[in-house]
Amino acid sequence: MVQFVVDVLIRAVDLALIAIGLSSVYSLIRFPNVALVQYATTGALLALGLQMAGLPLVVAAIAACALVGIIAVVLNVVVFERLLRAGSAIAMVGSLALSMVFSAIFLVTAGPRPKRFELEINPPLRFLGARLTEHQLISVGISALAIGVFALILFRTDLGRCMRATATNSVLASATGIDTRKVTNTVVFLSGVMAALGGIGLSVKGEMSAQLGLDMLLPVFAAAILGGLGNALGAAVGAVVIAAAETMVTNVNFGPLFGESVLFIPAAYATAASFLLLVVVLLIKPYGLFVSEVKRV
Amino acid sequence: MFEFLIHVAIMACLYGLLSLSLNLQVGFGGLVNFGQVILFGCGTYGAAIAFSHQLGPVAGIALGIVFAVVVAAAFARLGRNLGADYWGIATLAVAEVLRILANNEAWLTGGAQGISGIPLLFGDMPRPMGPLMTLGLCLVLLLAAWWLCQRLTTSRYGLALKLMREEPQLAASLGYDLAALKTQTLMVAAVLAAASGFVFAHYITFVGPDQLVSSETFLIWAMVIIGGSGNHLGAIVGAILMQFLFAFVPFVKDALGLPSEYVAAMRLTLVGGGLLAFLMWRTQGLIPERIGGKQNG
Amino acid sequence: MAEAVLTAERVAKAFGAHKVLSDVRFRIGADEIVGLLGPNGSGKSTLLNIVSGFSRPDAGEILFLGKSVAGMPSHKIARQGLVRTFQLPSMPHRMSVREVLRAGSRDGAGLLQAFTGKGSDDAEAEELIEQFALAPLAHQPASSLSGGQKKLLSIAVALRSRPKLLCLDEPTAGVHPQLRGRMVELLKAFNKRGVAMLVVEHDMHFIRELCGRCIVLDRGEIIADCAPRELTENERVVEAYLGKSVAKQKVSA
Repeated sequence: MVQFVVDVLIRAVDLALIAIGLSSVYSLIRFPNVALVQYATTGALLALGLQMAGLPLVVAAIAACALVGIIAVVLNVVVFERLLRAGSAIAMVGSLALSMVFSAIFLVTAGPRPKRFELEINPPLRFLGARLTEHQLISVGISALAIGVFALILFRTDLGRCMRATATNSVLASATGIDTRKVTNTVVFLSGVMAALGGIGLSVKGEMSAQLGLDMLLPVFAAAILGGLGNALGAAVGAVVIAAAETMVTNVNFGPLFGESVLFIPAAYATAASFLLLVVVLLIKPYGLFVSEVKRV
Repeated sequence: MFEFLIHVAIMACLYGLLSLSLNLQVGFGGLVNFGQVILFGCGTYGAAIAFSHQLGPVAGIALGIVFAVVVAAAFARLGRNLGADYWGIATLAVAEVLRILANNEAWLTGGAQGISGIPLLFGDMPRPMGPLMTLGLCLVLLLAAWWLCQRLTTSRYGLALKLMREEPQLAASLGYDLAALKTQTLMVAAVLAAASGFVFAHYITFVGPDQLVSSETFLIWAMVIIGGSGNHLGAIVGAILMQFLFAFVPFVKDALGLPSEYVAAMRLTLVGGGLLAFLMWRTQGLIPERIGGKQNG
Repeated sequence: MAEAVLTAERVAKAFGAHKVLSDVRFRIGADEIVGLLGPNGSGKSTLLNIVSGFSRPDAGEILFLGKSVAGMPSHKIARQGLVRTFQLPSMPHRMSVREVLRAGSRDGAGLLQAFTGKGSDDAEAEELIEQFALAPLAHQPASSLSGGQKKLLSIAVALRSRPKLLCLDEPTAGVHPQLRGRMVELLKAFNKRGVAMLVVEHDMHFIRELCGRCIVLDRGEIIADCAPRELTENERVVEAYLGKSVAKQKVSA
C-alpha cells in the first residue's frame, strides 16, 4: 500500500507541474497550449546538454528552466498572441503545429535514441517498506516544493491577485489598472519553468527521449481537464487521480475480483486508462470535477 | 520512376479523400476533430478483419463503414455539450485509446504486427496495369467524393452547416438541430475516411496500429489548412501538394547526405511549420473559401 | 381578441437567491403585436430567453399554440414557429448577407435533400432583401454590416423562417432613425399576414406606433398590461420608471 502511494506520488508530481502550468495559462488566455508538453522535453534536453557541457546537474537544471521560461514567453508574444486574434481553436491547432516543429528539432539535435542523465547509482532506500531511489526522493521533493511555491504565489502575492483578477474578468482587470499582458506573460514564464522542471524530473527518474513530451500530452490534459481547465490547483488533484489510475491499472491484481488468482491488465493499457478516464469525465462532467459552470457561451 | 509516381499519385488521392472528409468537418461544420486518423483506421481494419475472417472485400468495406459510423456517433455524442477545444482533446483521446486497443487485442487485430497479406484489388493484372487500375479507382472515388461534398455544401444543408460553424446560437434560434447536424456531418465524413482506409489496406496489403498515430491526423489538418479550409478544391490541392513534398524528402536527404532521422524531422517541419505559417499569415489557405457565390470551388 | 398563440402561466425564475421573475402570466393573441417594457434589469431578457428556450423556467407553464414548450430546447421551439432575435446579433464572417437570409428557411435543408432537391432561387429571401433595404449589401460578408444593419438582417432572417410568433429583442437599437418608420410599416404588414409579435423595446415612440398592447415588467413582476397610451396614467409604471415621488406628483397633478 505504501509502495502504491509512493508510486502514485512519483508519477503525480511531474504530471501536476505541467498540468498546473497548462491550466493557469488557460485561465488567462482561454486556449489549451499543446506545445507546453514540448517545453517539458526542451527543459530536459537543455539540462542534459548543459550537464554534458560540464555544469553540475543542479545548475544545469536551473538554467534550463529559466531558458524554457523565456522561450515560452517569446513564443507567446510572437506566435500565440497573433493566433489568438483568429480564435482559440486556431490557436490550439497552431500549438499542435508548433509541437511538431519542436519534435523535428528534438530529432535533429538529440537524435532518436533515448538518453539518460549522468547520475550516481545508489541502492534504493527503504521507507515504510516502500522502495525508492535517492534521485526519486530528491526530484519528488523539488517538484512538490515548486508546486507549493506556485500555490503561494497564486494566493499570497500581488501577482497572484492580479492573475486571478485577470482570469475572472480581463476587461475589468485592465480597467482597474492591471497590466494584463504583463500578468499573462509572467504566468506563461512560470508555466514554462514548471513544464521544464517536470520534464527534467521525468527524465531524471527514467530516460529522456524526443517522445517524452508527446507521451505526456494526454495524461497532462486529462489531469488538467479533470481538475477543470483554468483551475490551477484542481489540476494538481487531477494529476494525482490520473497517476493513481495509471498505477492501479498496472500494479493491482484484479484476479480476486474475477475469481482468478492472478489477473493483471496489460501494462500497455496504463496510458489508455487515463485517456478513458478523461473521456468519461468529459461525458459526465464536461468542465471538470470542480467547476460548476455549465457552459461557456 | 514511373511506378513511383503512380504510387505517389495513389497516396495523394487517398489523402485527398481524408482531406475532403476533414474539410467537411472543420471547414464547413467547424468541428475541431483531432481523431480523424481513427476514422481512416476503421476502414483499414474493416478490410483487414474481413480478410482475416475469410470474408470478401464487400464485407470489408461494409465492416469499415459500420466501424466508422459507430466511432463518428461516439465523437458526436462527446461533442454534444463540449467547447471546441475540449472536444478536440476528447477526439484525440478516443483515437489514441482505439489505437492502443488495436495494438494489444491481437486476437482481432493482429496486435503490433498487424494483419498482412491483404490481397491487392487488381492483383491478377500484369505489373504496370494493376497499380494503374488502382489509381483509376482512387481517382473515381476522389471525384465522387468531391461531387458529394460539393453537392452537400452548395445546398441549403451547406448553409445550415456554415451557420452552425460561425453562429451556433443564431442557427439554434432558427430551428436548426445542432446535435443532429454534427452527427450527420461526422457520419458522412466518416464514410469518406473509411473508403480511403479500405482502398489503402488493399493497396499496401498490410494494416497495423502504427499507421494510426496521431501525427497522421495533423498531416491531414495541414493539408486542409494549407489548401484552404472551407474549399473542397483547396483540400484536394493541399493533399496532393503535401503528398508530393513528402515523397521527395528522401531524395533531398540523399542529395545532402543527411542521416535518416532527418527524413522524419523534415516531414515534421513541413507539416508543423507549414501549418503554423499558414495559420499565422494566410489563415484562409491557398484557395480560400468563396463567400456568397453559388459555388464553393 | 383572436385565439392565443402564447400563454404564460405563473412563470418564475431565480439565479441563486436573486429572483428574476415571479408569477409572470400573460397571453398574446394570434393577431397581436405586444410590447414588453420595463426598466433595465426588470427581467425582460430573461423572460424572452425562457419563452424561446434559451433558458429554463424554475416553475410555471408556457403554452405555444396550445402545446407546452416550457423547458424545451430552443431549436424545437423555433421549429414550432416561435422565433426570436437577439439584442446584439452577431453575424458570420464567411457567409454573405444573402446566404444568411436563405439559411433562415429550413425547407429543403435536410441532408438527403441536398441530393434530391434542386438548387432553386429563393424568391422570398430576395423579397426580404428588398424590403429591408439590404440589396446593396447582399454580396457582402454578413459580419461586415453595421450594428443597425445586422439588426435588420436578423429580423429579416427570423421572418424568412415564417414564424407564427416573432420575439424581437430591442429591434430599433442601433438602427438609423429614418429606417424606424419603415420598420414599423414592415412589421405591421407581416403582422397582417399572420405573424404575432412580442417586442422588447425602449423607444416609446416606436412602441406607440407599433403595438396595440403593452406588458410592463418591474423587478420580475408584471405591473401593467394595457394599451400604450394608457401607460402614462398608470401610477405603478410611472413609479417604476421615474421613482415614487415623481409618480405621486404626476398622478395628482
